[in-house]
Amino acid sequence: MALIETQQLTKRYGETVLALNGLDLVVEPGITGLVGANGAGKSTLIKILLGLLEPTSGDATVLGYDIAREGPVLRQYVGYMPEHDCLPGDVSATEFVAHMAQINGLPRAAARERTAETLRHVGLFEERYREMRGYSTGMKQRVKLAQALVHDPRVLFLDEPTNGLDPAGRDEMLDLVRRTGAEFGISIIMASHLLGEIERVCEYLVVIDGGHLLQQGPLGDFTAAMGVLAVEVEGEAAVLAANLRERGLRVEVEGRMVLVALEGDERAFDLIRDSCADLGFGLVRLERRRQNLEDLFRPTGRGTAHAAS
Amino acid sequence: MPPAEQRTGSIYDLGYRRYDGLRLGRQHAVLSLYFYTLRGAFGIGRRASSKIIPIVITVIAFLPALIQLGVAAIVSDEVDVIRPENYFGFVQVPVALFCAAIAPEITGRDMRQRTLSLYFSRALERRDYALAKLAAFATALMVLTLAPQALLLVGNGLASKDLADYVGDNWKDMPRTIISGVGIAAAMGAVALAIAAQTARRAYATIAVVAWFLVTWPISGILVTEVGGAGRAAALLSPFDFVYGATLWVFDVEPDRDSVQDLAEIPLWAYGAAVAAYAAAGTALVIRRFGRIAA
Repeated sequence: MALIETQQLTKRYGETVLALNGLDLVVEPGITGLVGANGAGKSTLIKILLGLLEPTSGDATVLGYDIAREGPVLRQYVGYMPEHDCLPGDVSATEFVAHMAQINGLPRAAARERTAETLRHVGLFEERYREMRGYSTGMKQRVKLAQALVHDPRVLFLDEPTNGLDPAGRDEMLDLVRRTGAEFGISIIMASHLLGEIERVCEYLVVIDGGHLLQQGPLGDFTAAMGVLAVEVEGEAAVLAANLRERGLRVEVEGRMVLVALEGDERAFDLIRDSCADLGFGLVRLERRRQNLEDLFRPTGRGTAHAAS
Repeated sequence: MPPAEQRTGSIYDLGYRRYDGLRLGRQHAVLSLYFYTLRGAFGIGRRASSKIIPIVITVIAFLPALIQLGVAAIVSDEVDVIRPENYFGFVQVPVALFCAAIAPEITGRDMRQRTLSLYFSRALERRDYALAKLAAFATALMVLTLAPQALLLVGNGLASKDLADYVGDNWKDMPRTIISGVGIAAAMGAVALAIAAQTARRAYATIAVVAWFLVTWPISGILVTEVGGAGRAAALLSPFDFVYGATLWVFDVEPDRDSVQDLAEIPLWAYGAAVAAYAAAGTALVIRRFGRIAA
């Protein structure tokens, strides 16, 4: 059974804004990264699946439950860590998380016990008895994760979980998310606009843009197909770039380097060689860049603006 | 427990475990929210400063009962016992204060702190959330309307020469007292919550609730006593007036001469109907509000 299935899911805000545009998606259990630029529809999709928003049209199931008809039953097995602040300042983490566990159907005693365990799991110790208004951003993010985990969900929706964290806190949060998914078998949907984070945590990738599915698959497929070759020549980088573009390659100039997208085949190597020979440029360096997701998306997204500037 | 210097900024794996126990679902979720809200209404489980206002108002509601019992204990046994309907006439004021001070907290907290999205992504529906909040707030108000009278009944009974006699003489008041106390709490509570739920800002909500009580009151008074005619229906506008009218109806007591209820010349049952209508309208508005609010 698929973890999430959507059919023609559409969300329209008012007359003009189309946040989701007939989205058809099947997500299998595992740790899945939900990627897209700000405004691509990531949060909207998550909120619809949680029942926080009603879709304008279309259907969806999560864990096999219909989101429209079986919301309360489904949501017993779902955890949600929103992007925004959501913690009351005048209660302690213990009190709040235990309350949230009960709202998810856990009996009182079990809720207390699970609260203590979960807060330990996210790394909150004596502070948990203090009012949350005094917490740092890092501690608040941990409580937000704890309230999403306390009832042992089968699927966890994380919306930008590293929001507002410093680099060290970011590393810890990502590690925590990865371990929660990998070691305890909880399926995770993690939305982020930071591809580097997705890459560190996720096994699968769903890329949405403008409210519909752009690409989807195991992370490995993406990284294999997205090599980038950095070329340094004795000569004008821009001239070489123009020449390579004429030969049909996706190219970008970065300082003295020319970045060439390797699109699955090795054709680019020959074309670069031919190009340098024709232009009479000396080839100084030809190296494969560390393959990361930013490189894949740069030519289509930010990259165009980048190259033009 | 790890040593203190290691603890800062590191995450320990002390064993997250899976949970295979009971999941009690929606009904349990609603009950939990009800009790949590009820406790919160009196500041229980919150910092000391959150307790001051609800407790002071509650004490005010108890004052007449305490004074009467105190006097009865010190002086002789021949003390005028406060009639239940008169007690309701008094207790409307602390109930209104409680509405103005606490209703904005009941609804506004979760909006302000954006906790709504955590509730609505859990095992309940928006309507359940609204009803749990309403029920908890009405229950808190019933503590003000009913508990002092219960204390009075028990206290006077114990102070009387014959407890069985006293109960025998007064038992007929009990259902009337309960109906009246529940009606006041439901009508004032539901409307106050419906007003307060329109904004997350606490100050605005308080002012709006106060305005409902204080602006309608003189309007009703002027229209009934000065204008007369069709203006007399304004007695159903002011919460103090229609709630007291309903109490008179429940206890089958004639209004005092020249009181609003006397001058309005509306049949007393109409006040009872007004209490029911206000409670229903307030409830519907609260459900509607939380059905639509963005979370």
